[in-house]
Amino acid sequence: MTEPQPYESALDAIPGAHPYPRSSRYHDAEIGIHTQPDGTPVRYVKRRLLPPLGEPDENTATHTVSSGERPDHLGQRYFGDPAAWWRIADANPVLDPRELTAEPGEEIEIPDGFPSGFPGSGPGGGMRGR
Amino acid sequence: MADEPVGQGPIHLELRMGPKLTRPVPPEVTEALLSAQITTTAGERSGFQLAFDLTKKGAIIDRLLPEGFFDPRTRVVVTAAVKGTPIVLLDGLIVRHEVGASNQPGQTTLTVTGEDLTLLMDLEERTDRYPNLPPFKRVTRILSKYTDYGIEAEVIEEKILQPPNAQRRVDYQTGTDLQYVTDLAQANGYVFYLIPGPVAGVSTAYWGPEKRVGTPQHALSVNMDVNSTVDQLTFAYDGTAREEPQARWQDPATRTSTLLAQPDISPLRPPLGKRATPALKRKTLSGTAKKDRAQAEAEALARAAVSADAISGSGSLDVNRHGYILQPRQLVGVRGAGATYDGEYYVKSVTHHLRPGSFQQNFTLTREGLIARSDTVRA
Repeated sequence: MTEPQPYESALDAIPGAHPYPRSSRYHDAEIGIHTQPDGTPVRYVKRRLLPPLGEPDENTATHTVSSGERPDHLGQRYFGDPAAWWRIADANPVLDPRELTAEPGEEIEIPDGFPSGFPGSGPGGGMRGR
Repeated sequence: MADEPVGQGPIHLELRMGPKLTRPVPPEVTEALLSAQITTTAGERSGFQLAFDLTKKGAIIDRLLPEGFFDPRTRVVVTAAVKGTPIVLLDGLIVRHEVGASNQPGQTTLTVTGEDLTLLMDLEERTDRYPNLPPFKRVTRILSKYTDYGIEAEVIEEKILQPPNAQRRVDYQTGTDLQYVTDLAQANGYVFYLIPGPVAGVSTAYWGPEKRVGTPQHALSVNMDVNSTVDQLTFAYDGTAREEPQARWQDPATRTSTLLAQPDISPLRPPLGKRATPALKRKTLSGTAKKDRAQAEAEALARAAVSADAISGSGSLDVNRHGYILQPRQLVGVRGAGATYDGEYYVKSVTHHLRPGSFQQNFTLTREGLIARSDTVRA
C-alpha cells in the first residue's frame, strides 16, 4: 500500500472533488503527486490495477460475438451506455479492448456490474494494469 | 432487475441478503419483487420497504420464509446501476415482515420493512462516562465498536471547541449509542447519518456538518419543455422557520449572567442564496446558563444554523428521464424555476420508488436564502 497523500483525505469529504466522474474507470484510482525537480507538484493518476478475473458463470453472462460488433456496442446493449465498455473489458483476459470483438463466434464474459466489498467477491489487487 | 435478460434498459438492480455477510439473492426472490421503497434523509436514519409476490407453492413461501431468510436482523443491501455505474442505495437490517394472505390469486404479498445499519446502535441502552473527551472523540470511540458490519467512521471536529475538564464536569451517556451520538450532533448543529457504499458491504458513519460544499449534482430542470428532467417541483418560503436564539450564560465565579452574541452561521451553513432570509422569531434557550461557555455558544450556533433553512422545495423525478440517480445529502442545481428560486440547494431527503420498469424519486430540497448566487448551474 502506498502512503495516502495529505490532500486526499481532505478532498474525500467534498462531493465531486475527484477529477473523474463516477462512471469513469479511474474514479476509484489513487491520485498521486509527483514533485518536479524545481519543486512544483503535479497531480497524476496512479496505475489502475484490474480486478481479479472471476470464475466464469460467477455473476457473469456469456455473449457470443457476431461480426461487426465493437466493444461500445456491447456497452450500449448491456449497460445502456456505450462508455461502459471498459466494464466488459475488465472481466475478460484481454489487454487491448479490440481483442474482445476481433473474432466472430468467440464467447466473452459480460459482468453484472455490481462490485461488492465482501471477502471473496470484492475488488482486489490484480496484476494487470491498464 | 438483475436476473432479467441483460439489455433491458439502462437501470439494473441488485438485491443482496444474508445474516452478516450478504450474498446475491436467489433468482426466485428477484422475480417476486413487486416494489421497493427506500427513504434516505440527512440527519435521520434511512428506512426501506420491499414487497414480494407470494405465489402458492413458490420458493419463498415453501422454503425461504420457514428457513428464516426474511427474519428480522437479516442484512439487506440494495444496489442500483444506472448506465453501468453502480450506486448503493441502502445497507440495512430487516425489522419486521408482514404476510398479507388474500383470497384473490396473485394478491398474496410479503412486505419486508427495515432500517439502515444505525439500528445496531439503537438496540442496547447503556450508561457510560467519558472523562476528558471532547464530543468528537466520544463519537469516534462509540463508532469504533461497529466495524464488523463494515462501518467506517468519519468524524469532523466540532466548530466551537469544548475542551473537557474532568475536575469540573464529566459527561455521561444514558440511553442507546445512537441517541447519544445524535444528541451530541444536535448540540453542535451537526448531523449523524450512515452513507452506504461505495460498494456493497461497506458504509461510512458520518458525524459532522451538512456537506453544503463541493460540486453540485446534475441540475434539475423544470418548465423547460423537452429539457425538463423533473415531473414537478414546488417551493415554499416559511417566514417563521428562522429563529434568533437568545442564550444567557452565567459566569460561575462572578455570578453575572451575560447574553451571548448572535453567532455567525456560515461555518455550518455556507450561503447558497444571495438574499438571506430574516429571522422573525426570538427563541430563548433554556438551560444554557449552567453549562460551560463553549457548550452554550455551540448550542446557540446550532439553533441558529438549523432553523435558518427557511426555503424548502419538494418534487419528484423519473430517473430514466433525468439520467442520473439524485443522491441525498449533497448539493444540486435547479434551473427554470425563476430568478428567485433558481440556483443550488441542499438535498435534504430522497425517497426511491423502484418497480419493475420504473424508478421514481421524490425529493426535498432546502436552502437559507433566495436568489441564485451564480448565473449558471451544472447541467
